Amino acid sequence: MVVGIKDAAKLIGISVISLCAVLVCTMFLNFYIDILEIEPLIASEAAMLFYDAQVSTAKIVCAVSGGCLLVTSVIMLLFYIRHYIDTHKKELGILKALGYSNLKIAGNFRVFGVSVLIGSAAGFSASFLLMPTFYDLQNKDRILPEISIRFHPSLFFCLVLLPTAAFACLSVCYAACRLKAPVLQLIKDSPQTPAKTKKQKNEPDCPFLAGLKKSTLRTKKTLVFFIAFASFCFSAMTQMSASMDTLSSRMMALMTLIIGLVLAFTTLFLAITAVVRGNTKTIAMMRVFGYSQKECCRALLGGYRPASYIGFALGTAYQYALLRIAVDLVFRDIGDIPAYEFDVPNMLASLAAFLFFYELMMYLGAERIKKISVKEIMLE
Amino acid sequence: MIRINQIKKSYGTHENRALILKGISAEIADGDFVVILGASGSGKSTLLNVISGLEQPDSGSVTYDGTDITAFNDRELTAFRRENVGFIFQQYYLLPNLTVEKNVRMGADLAGNSDYRSVLKAVGLENKLKKYPGELSGGEQQRVAVARALAKRPRVLFLDEPTGALDEATGRQVLDYISCLQEEYRFTVVMVTHNLNIAEMANTVIKMNSGMILEIYTNETRKNAREIGW
Ligand SMILES: Nc1ncnc2c1ncn2[C@@H]1O[C@H](COP(=O)(O)OP(=O)(O)OP(=O)(O)O)[C@@H](O)[C@H]1O
Ligand SMILES: [Mg+2]
Repeated sequence: MVVGIKDAAKLIGISVISLCAVLVCTMFLNFYIDILEIEPLIASEAAMLFYDAQVSTAKIVCAVSGGCLLVTSVIMLLFYIRHYIDTHKKELGILKALGYSNLKIAGNFRVFGVSVLIGSAAGFSASFLLMPTFYDLQNKDRILPEISIRFHPSLFFCLVLLPTAAFACLSVCYAACRLKAPVLQLIKDSPQTPAKTKKQKNEPDCPFLAGLKKSTLRTKKTLVFFIAFASFCFSAMTQMSASMDTLSSRMMALMTLIIGLVLAFTTLFLAITAVVRGNTKTIAMMRVFGYSQKECCRALLGGYRPASYIGFALGTAYQYALLRIAVDLVFRDIGDIPAYEFDVPNMLASLAAFLFFYELMMYLGAERIKKISVKEIMLE
Repeated sequence: MIRINQIKKSYGTHENRALILKGISAEIADGDFVVILGASGSGKSTLLNVISGLEQPDSGSVTYDGTDITAFNDRELTAFRRENVGFIFQQYYLLPNLTVEKNVRMGADLAGNSDYRSVLKAVGLENKLKKYPGELSGGEQQRVAVARALAKRPRVLFLDEPTGALDEATGRQVLDYISCLQEEYRFTVVMVTHNLNIAEMANTVIKMNSGMILEIYTNETRKNAREIGW
């Protein structure tokens, strides 16, 4: 067994992300389907306008949060599998050398579907727990007739079973694809990217630590993406949550905040863990040579800081654009449009919280680096 | 002068505790070429790790010119290694994502040595600067490791079976580089091996058996890498 349940347990990040995505999507899709049922019962014109607004909000939120989360979880899963293969390349190479077929080895990776199943099933159930409150809030002024909560098997299929099957399949295919490499390439310590472009050969000569910083960024580009994404989530969701509080409801605000923090935390945590784990040998060797703790951390973790600031800036712009569009489009036809302007103090507060959060996570990463002993190098 | 005094080291806990080093004492003079010889499992690597400050012994002391490194904490040990020692292991442990040049700079930068290219030239790799370790043969990789350790200008060079993964001719070549460079730079060498013939290259041979020193003897004449049998 190449991939066990234990590895699937490490995929907790995938579970968390699928949980969040499925939770939000189920809630709004369910609401959307249920609200369509009451259309014939609507009598007044005001109620009809309100009804239309509700339907388009559900659509937008679903598309934005669901789509965004879905894309991330797909990339995250692909990234994890790639990371897993990279760190277990030798074993896989040996299995392949022994004569196991690619498909047989890759088949083991279907276990990754389990973590998607766990996450999406949990998200699906959780959404039904939250639904009574949610339905109530959406219709708190009783403009519309009573909307009753119904269970839709098709939603269960699309949001739980289908993703599970799709991800299991995706994992196997991706693994099989990576396993196509010749056995020797899997067994040998080859550079992860051959990196033979002209540009690099002509690069000005730089010291070792600077070179290491660059190569950690270059060889694991997905990690750069994840760290930027975590910052993006943090920035967008915290600021959006503050605006939601005035625009929508306290519950929506709280939900956005929690989902944002959970996503940012898991993504950043997993990315940092991957950086440290992927560089254990390098760190051990640097310690053997006498590089200090600080130098190791700076070279391996320091390079990600610009990416995180860019992520934060993008998140700020994204949430502003999204809310602007939502407010202008959705509330346009309803009488009382809440005023919405870019909120500078809010942004600054979010930035301060983010800086604290980011440095805290980096500190945790540094602590993990500290725990790596020089003897690690001798454990092959 | 390195003075090793009554080193004891054990691994494991309680019932399966095993004493690996059973009280080892020896002296290593500056500029000496020392070989630690012994069968597999006799504790050679463990001893080397203790002398070089990679690992702390349970008891006993290791002093460099009177400074006891066993009293150091982790930070002080790191600083000590940075100042004084170089390492070459059987598995070269090069950083796979960095070029040969950057790998050598890993050592050179620590000593502020900007002349690292001359070391690369000395091991005959001056035209492989931009290659990655995965693109080199085993012997070439080990020569990169040699250059990396020497570019650091260590006072003491520690080698754990440096030729263990190499064939005879390549191993001989690597040893040749090391002993030539030692003549030139005058650092101390402490090398672990279980190969009796390689021991003939040394000034001093420390023979170990199951955690104890069997004998310490000096070779009248040092053979060079070409003269030893394998
Ligand atoms: N981290 C460890 N934990 C437990 N036992 C260990 C550890 N490291 C070494 N040992 C034990 O200590 C003994 C001596 O190991 P050491 O690596 O020093 O031997 P060696 O003489 O270098 O052997 P070889 O020539 O095979 O490298 C061995 O029996 C080994 O099992
Ligand atoms: Mg050994």
